[in-house]
Amino acid sequence: MSNPKPGEKVIKGLTGSEGIAIGPVLVVDEKRKRIQPRKIKADAIYVHLQRFAKAKAAFLKELDELTLNLDKKTAEILETQKHIISDREIEKKINSVIEVELYDVEYAIYGTFNEFIERLRESGSELFQQRIVDLENLRDRLILLACDNDRELEIEKGTILVLQDISPTDLVTYHEKGIKGLVMDKGGVTSHAAIIAQSLNIPCIVSTKVGVRHASNSRKAVLDASSGELILNPSRAVLTEFKKKIRDLNKAQKAFIKAGERSETKDGFPFHLRANIEFQQELILANEFKAEGIGLLRTEALLFGGMSKRSEIEQDKYYDSILSGMSGPVTIRLFDVGGDKLHSQTPDENNPFLGWRGVRMLLDEKAMLISQFRSILRCAGKYPGRIRILVPMVALVEEVVQVRKVMEEVQKALMDAGIPIDESVPLGIMVEVPSVALLADKFAKEVDFFSIGTNDLTQYALAVDRGNERICSLYQQHHPSVWQLIKATVKAANENAVPVSVCGELAGNKLGALCLLGMGVNDLSISPASIPKVKEVLTSRSMLELRDFSEKVLDCSTTEQVHEVYGSWD
Amino acid sequence: MLYSEMIKKKVTILNSSGLHARPSAALVKLAGQFKSDFYIHMYGYRVNGKSILGVMTLAAEQGAELVFEVNGSDEKEALNAILELVENKFGMEDE
Repeated sequence: MSNPKPGEKVIKGLTGSEGIAIGPVLVVDEKRKRIQPRKIKADAIYVHLQRFAKAKAAFLKELDELTLNLDKKTAEILETQKHIISDREIEKKINSVIEVELYDVEYAIYGTFNEFIERLRESGSELFQQRIVDLENLRDRLILLACDNDRELEIEKGTILVLQDISPTDLVTYHEKGIKGLVMDKGGVTSHAAIIAQSLNIPCIVSTKVGVRHASNSRKAVLDASSGELILNPSRAVLTEFKKKIRDLNKAQKAFIKAGERSETKDGFPFHLRANIEFQQELILANEFKAEGIGLLRTEALLFGGMSKRSEIEQDKYYDSILSGMSGPVTIRLFDVGGDKLHSQTPDENNPFLGWRGVRMLLDEKAMLISQFRSILRCAGKYPGRIRILVPMVALVEEVVQVRKVMEEVQKALMDAGIPIDESVPLGIMVEVPSVALLADKFAKEVDFFSIGTNDLTQYALAVDRGNERICSLYQQHHPSVWQLIKATVKAANENAVPVSVCGELAGNKLGALCLLGMGVNDLSISPASIPKVKEVLTSRSMLELRDFSEKVLDCSTTEQVHEVYGSWD
Repeated sequence: MLYSEMIKKKVTILNSSGLHARPSAALVKLAGQFKSDFYIHMYGYRVNGKSILGVMTLAAEQGAELVFEVNGSDEKEALNAILELVENKFGMEDE
C-alpha cells in the first residue's frame, strides 16, 4: 500500500507462504505467559492441591505408557523421571507453598523445582549441568498438566495470528482451529513454520520483528502475504480491493484444478510432481492439487510432539494415516534431527549443522532406528510397492552400508515373526552433503534411489548458515556450484540406472523447476501449494527449450548470470 | 526410640558418573525399603537420602566424600545394604 490512510498501520515482513487473508488479529505475547508468583485465597487451597495431585498422576501415567515400548536403557531413564516426580520432599514442599504461603499451583511447582535447579547450578559440576535441563523439562511438563488448559489459546475461526515464533506442531493445532493467516516476528522464509504454512495453504509473513509489539488485537486486518504486509485498521477501499483479489485467486485455483490433468511438456515428455509433507492435515491440499504421491514425508514431528508421540504404536498410526489418505508412492525420510531435539541432555554443539544429526545420530541411537524401521516396514507390508525409505544427512558410503544392514536385520526379524513385509522396499539417500554428489557414482552402487535435498546442499556447498541474518544473502539456491553438484549426481544416477528426484525449495520455484527438468530430472517433490504454479510453467514449455535453458545455466559462473539467462530466456 | 543410636559412616563415590540420575534413583529406591531415616552429608549440606532430588542436587562426582547417617530400628541392615550398593558402583558401570 503506497498511501496508508489515517489509522491504517502497515507491518512489513518477508513472504513465508503466499496468499491473502482478511480476518481478526490475535497477538500472542509469549512473555506474558511466564510464571509469576500469584497469591490465592484460603478457600482455593484445596483446588490447587488437587490440581497438583492430578498433574502428578497424569504425568506418571504418561511415563508408564511410554515405558512399555522402549528399550531397557531408555526405560530406565524414564524410571528415574518417575522417581523424581514421586519424590516425597518435592510433594511436601509444593503442598506447603500452596497451603502455607498461599501461592497458586503453577508457581508452587515452578518455585520448588527452581530451588533444586539453583542448587545444582551452584555446584558448578559440569557433569550435573545437563541434569538442569532435565529438571526444567519435568517442571514445565508438570506445570502444563496442572494448569488445566486454562492457559490454552482461544481462537476464533479466520484469525490472523501474530507471534514471535511457532512450532510446527502448534501451527497444525491452530490450523485445525481455523486460523487463516500467520505473522511471525522471527524466522526466515525457509523456516520450518513457513514451509508448513505453505503446505497448509496459510498465508504467512516472517521476519516482521515488531509485529507483537506494534500490532494489537482487532476486529479486522488484511494480510497480503504475497507482498509481505499486514495492514491493520484497513480502510473500506482497501478491504474491497483485497476481497476482490481473494475471489480472483480462488477462481484461478479452481480453473487449475479442472484443467491441469496431464503432467507433460508441450512436446509430450512426462514429469511427476509430488508433495513434501509432514502432517496428515497437509494431505488435503496435496490431494486437491493432484500430487502424484508424497515425495518427501518428514517424520520429525513424531519426535517434536513430545515424547509421548514416540511410541511405535503412534508411529504405526501416523504412517498408516498417510498411506491410506493418499494414492501413489510415499517416500518416508528417517528421523532427521540434531541431537538437541532428541535428548535434552545433549550438550550444545558449536556447529549443529556440521554435527550429530541425521544418519550419524540414527546409527548411534540404534534402538530408535530399529523401532522406526520396524514401524515403516510393517506399513510397507500392508501397502506393498508404495513405500520408499530415505536416509538423511549421508556423507559416507559406509553409512549407507550400515543402515542397510540394520534394515535387513529388522526385515528378517519381522519375517521370522510371521509379519508380512515388502521385501523389495527401496532404500535411498538424500544427496545434501557435497561428498555424496562428488562420489555419486560409488553411492549409486549401494542405493536404490537418490533424492537431492537442495536446501542443505546449497547450505553445505556455499558454507552458509541460512539462519544467520548477516550472511543469509550468500544462501543462493541458484548458484552455479549447486547446479554442478546436481549435474554430477544426475549423470551418475543415469549411468547406473538409479532413479533420481529433487526435493527442496529449488524444485518449487519456476527457474529451478525448468532447469531441473531440462537436466533430465523429471521427478520433483515440492510443497503442495507450489504444485499449480510449477505445473503450469512446466507444461507450457518443450523439452527442447528446457535443455537449451539448462545448458546455458550450467555455463554460468555467478548467480546473477543465472538470473540474467532466465530473464532473457523467459 | 528413646535411646536411638545413630550410625555415621564415611563413604567415597566410586563410579565414574558420580551420583547421577540413575545411581541416585537406585540409592533412593533402596533406602526407601528401610524404616530408618537416611541422611547424606556433603560439604556442609545435609539432604534426605530418600529424596531423589535431594541426592541428585548434591552433584556428587566420582571421588566425592560423603557421610551417610542412618537412624532407626533397622539402621544396621540399611547401612550395609546401602554400602554394598555404593561399592558395586550401583550396578551401572561399563554399560
